[in-house]
Amino acid sequence: MTRIQGSGWVGLLLVLMWLLVALFGPMLAHYEVGAIVAPDVFERMGGAHFLGSDYLGRDVLSRLMNGARFTVGLSFGAALLASASGASLALFSAISGRWIDETVSRLMDALISIPGKILALVIVAAFGSSMLLLLLIAAISYMPGAFRIARSLAVNLNQMDYVQVARARGEGRVHIAIFEILPNMIHPLLADFGLRFVFVVLLLSGLSFLGLGVQPPDADLGSLVRENISGLSEAAPAIIAPAMAIATLTIGVNLLIDSLASGGRSVTDEAQR
Amino acid sequence: MSKYSNDPDMERRRILQAVAVTGLTATLGGVLVHPGAVQAATPRQGGRIRVASLSSSIADTLDPAKGSLSTDYARHYMLYSGLTQYDTDLAAQPALATSLESDDQIHWTIKIRADVQFHNGKSLTSADVVYSLLRHKDPAVASKMAAIAEQFSEIKVTGPLELTMRLSGPNADLPVILADSHFLVVPDGTTEFRTANGTGPYRLKSFQPGIRTVVIRNENYWKPGRPYIDEIELIGIPDETSRVNALLSGDVQLISAVNPRQTRRIHATDTHKVVETKSGLYTDLIMRADSHPTSNPDFVLAMKYLLNRNLIKKALFRGYAEIGNDHPIAPSDRYFSPDLPQREYDPDLAKYHLQKSGLAGVRIPMYASPAAPGSVDTASLLQEAASRIGLKLAVNRVPADGYWSNHWMKHPLGFGNINPRPTADLKFSLFFKSDAPWNVSGWVNHQFDELVVAARAESDEQKRRQMYADMQEIVHTKCGVGIPVFISLLDAHDARIKGLGSIPIGGLMGYSFADHIWLVD
Amino acid sequence: MLMILVAKRILIAAFTLLLVSFVIFAITSLLPGDAAQELLGQSATPEIVAELREQLGLNQPAHIRYLNWLGGLLTGDPGTSMVSNMPVKDIIGERLPKSLILAGLTAAVSVPLALLIGILSAMYRDSRLDRALNVVTLSMIAVPEFLVATIAVIVFAVQLRWLPSITIVSPDASFGELARAYALPVMTLCFVVVAQMARMTRAAVINQLDSSYVEMAILKGARPTRIALQHALPNAIGPIVNAIALSLSYLLGGAIIVETIFNYPGVASLMVNAVTSRDMPLLQACAMIFSGAYLLMVLIADIVAIISNPKLRHQ
Repeated sequence: MTRIQGSGWVGLLLVLMWLLVALFGPMLAHYEVGAIVAPDVFERMGGAHFLGSDYLGRDVLSRLMNGARFTVGLSFGAALLASASGASLALFSAISGRWIDETVSRLMDALISIPGKILALVIVAAFGSSMLLLLLIAAISYMPGAFRIARSLAVNLNQMDYVQVARARGEGRVHIAIFEILPNMIHPLLADFGLRFVFVVLLLSGLSFLGLGVQPPDADLGSLVRENISGLSEAAPAIIAPAMAIATLTIGVNLLIDSLASGGRSVTDEAQR
Repeated sequence: MSKYSNDPDMERRRILQAVAVTGLTATLGGVLVHPGAVQAATPRQGGRIRVASLSSSIADTLDPAKGSLSTDYARHYMLYSGLTQYDTDLAAQPALATSLESDDQIHWTIKIRADVQFHNGKSLTSADVVYSLLRHKDPAVASKMAAIAEQFSEIKVTGPLELTMRLSGPNADLPVILADSHFLVVPDGTTEFRTANGTGPYRLKSFQPGIRTVVIRNENYWKPGRPYIDEIELIGIPDETSRVNALLSGDVQLISAVNPRQTRRIHATDTHKVVETKSGLYTDLIMRADSHPTSNPDFVLAMKYLLNRNLIKKALFRGYAEIGNDHPIAPSDRYFSPDLPQREYDPDLAKYHLQKSGLAGVRIPMYASPAAPGSVDTASLLQEAASRIGLKLAVNRVPADGYWSNHWMKHPLGFGNINPRPTADLKFSLFFKSDAPWNVSGWVNHQFDELVVAARAESDEQKRRQMYADMQEIVHTKCGVGIPVFISLLDAHDARIKGLGSIPIGGLMGYSFADHIWLVD
Repeated sequence: MLMILVAKRILIAAFTLLLVSFVIFAITSLLPGDAAQELLGQSATPEIVAELREQLGLNQPAHIRYLNWLGGLLTGDPGTSMVSNMPVKDIIGERLPKSLILAGLTAAVSVPLALLIGILSAMYRDSRLDRALNVVTLSMIAVPEFLVATIAVIVFAVQLRWLPSITIVSPDASFGELARAYALPVMTLCFVVVAQMARMTRAAVINQLDSSYVEMAILKGARPTRIALQHALPNAIGPIVNAIALSLSYLLGGAIIVETIFNYPGVASLMVNAVTSRDMPLLQACAMIFSGAYLLMVLIADIVAIISNPKLRHQ
């Protein structure tokens, strides 16, 4: 069922590459992330700086290798947090009584209906900007989506024969949730997790447009695109490179997930936000 | 000289971020040529433009007393006139007032221009002026100039076109103060500003807060022959890239607050031009004297030596800046002291002072925000330079939203931004005097305070020049404020717009472009 | 049956809105500074701030302000904007239609496009066309929205000069001018939502194509087009409509970046304005609109799903 094939391999390769960059990039980067090393701004590719220089004359390659870990790490962390908390809440909600279920569901509806970027603006204005906060904002923004999917899965599974059998056996609710329902949700949840990862990457780059992101001189991939936007009209590598980085990262994750999920039932129809 | 207490208009700094470009696709036809307007340099009448400045929100107002952003100032200067107006050196020139006279700088007699009409046809009298000035003292008006207006002890009508003012202390700068957009003149008794009934060059056609202001030429303007353009639409485009794109695509004809990085694109065309206005605008590094570790004088010196001024000028501002010397008087200012040696980037000296301060290896947070233009990148450069001499600066970028009330001057190490002020006295007394509310570094220097007061009262120009030179030296050596560069104001316009000069109080010709520009084919 | 369901959902929606208003109020009351301070900026002297607080009613305790606001809302009056001193109704009345036009145009373009792409991909699953469309939609998701918008402006407005770079529509604009003005923002928003909807449509249709009744149809020798359109599609309508609803609800609040770049005066930028100026009544009104739009979309999706699938009606 989880056989990888065709484009899935491409995806796997891209994902692995970005994982490696995220892990070892900072060590391999040739220049300090904040150092102005080029005589001119928006230099072309090649020469002393493989990917040219950015809007201040900093080395783009070094900044990219430094920034990847924020995007990969933050997105991974936030997606994991969103999926895990969403799924747990969904399980809890599904096995609990009707009132708790209704209340939790409405709370999630309330959360999902506030636009994520604006929520982020308010929260950052209230609490200041930090990595942890960005992670939490992204997690909170995508948790209700994970909840919706997991809950619909859990509700369906709850009606399955083997769950009814277990219930007839006299197993406790928690036991049923963990040992009967959860194992059968893992696969679609995994696929959903991948999608959430992509959404978080995009949310973070959207937030960088609104001026929220990791603290300088570091910059995540989205911020790298944003800060070099004035180089767009001269097609500077300083903006093309990070944009390509985001594209390959998200496409890679998508391809990998598509090939993983194609065996199981699609969950994509629920996976919005 | 004069005394000003407070200029409350800090919001003006936000102008720098916000760019408002207004304008409809200009219909350049239908130009009415004045008889005798033959030479190309002669202004001609007609046309329609859209101008974009940097900000626009539902807080946009037609009440001059409430103006808080560049778009407000530009709008108000189109619709209203003041008693005086700035010239290109920021000296006051007569406008609605034909003369302002005083023997002691306390009692002033102001004569009002005759035959000036408001847009609704009512004639201007001294009662209108008295009302316009006194309303700033009414808390219910919530004027931005309330603090400055406190010095207006008494204002009385002494004739249909004459009034007298008594100030709480001598202030030779009163004529300059009155050129500020907040003191523009409205009709006596006005509490409702929706029609913007002023005496300015343009009348209001439509106004939608946060969206647009459209004005049409005032045929009865008191300056004969002016203004030149038939209709102006003023909008705000907060996103700086969008603003330049709107100019280059021809959707607007004039924009303010151009990011220096974008000038390359504008220079590459032959249809658009950049106007640089050297100004007293600066973004400063603030080291509070009342907190640790920034109260340590060696730490302050180390930080000042770490500011790579040439690099900041070149990399951040593309050369559109003047090197600063850690005091608020720009090289283009007439009171600039050329004798004070220029402080240079010197990592060795910085390291020496850092070690002397005993703070090597300490980790210190540093607050920067897009609210203070250039501060985030300057912080980034400082962080890098500091790491080389064993000082760890942790850059804390915070959102522009709420920066001035929540962060500015509230951290030991942070950035601020000060808009151009018309006089040297204001530059020192507002931000450096020990008892000033915006004594940004929180320092106390009695010698400096005495000099500020003495210079204000000094009538001998030579002596005053020397006093200002002394003040520059004291701030340069002892104050916890680092001023790396003075930032030029950059406007850009369609090459068919003529007559756009520089008034260094703000962009768009000191916000008063509408009074001066014209269009050619 | 359907009526009862709708009535029940509307009740639940009202409860959710109440919850949202409370959450928004709670979060924003944590924000440093209030409307009086933000309005006065640095020129705030204590007396003037106090006076303005009095005028704005900010000196009342938070829960009283919340209840006042709620009471006003229930009687149909969302209050007065603190910053502009205009009725919230008027401000929203100015901006909401603009947002709805933008969202409506985007929906009109993106929904058919997404359906076409999704159904085609599903019908020719694993073909070269499917893979090509897959890469196209993936790439569309993968580019940050602000980059798409900026590239579009540079190419179509600055270089080619075909289209305006900012959306300024005068009240007396002709249809041609309108179309030109909206072209770039609609294009950008389509970029964002089409990919999502197309991929979900594909998944939903494929889901049905794999089911036993479709296999029966194939065994009976029906043509692929016929199978897709007559058998699979009707049954996939539920999930598809759900996906469309969710994507479209993004168009109001999520348009903030497009509104910023094209200087479009919609509700999303209004809400950001309200946040920065601490204009509570306006902020609450915007939040209610976004939540309301979302809940309405979901409700419509549910109703369509039920109508299209009679089995659900009896659950």
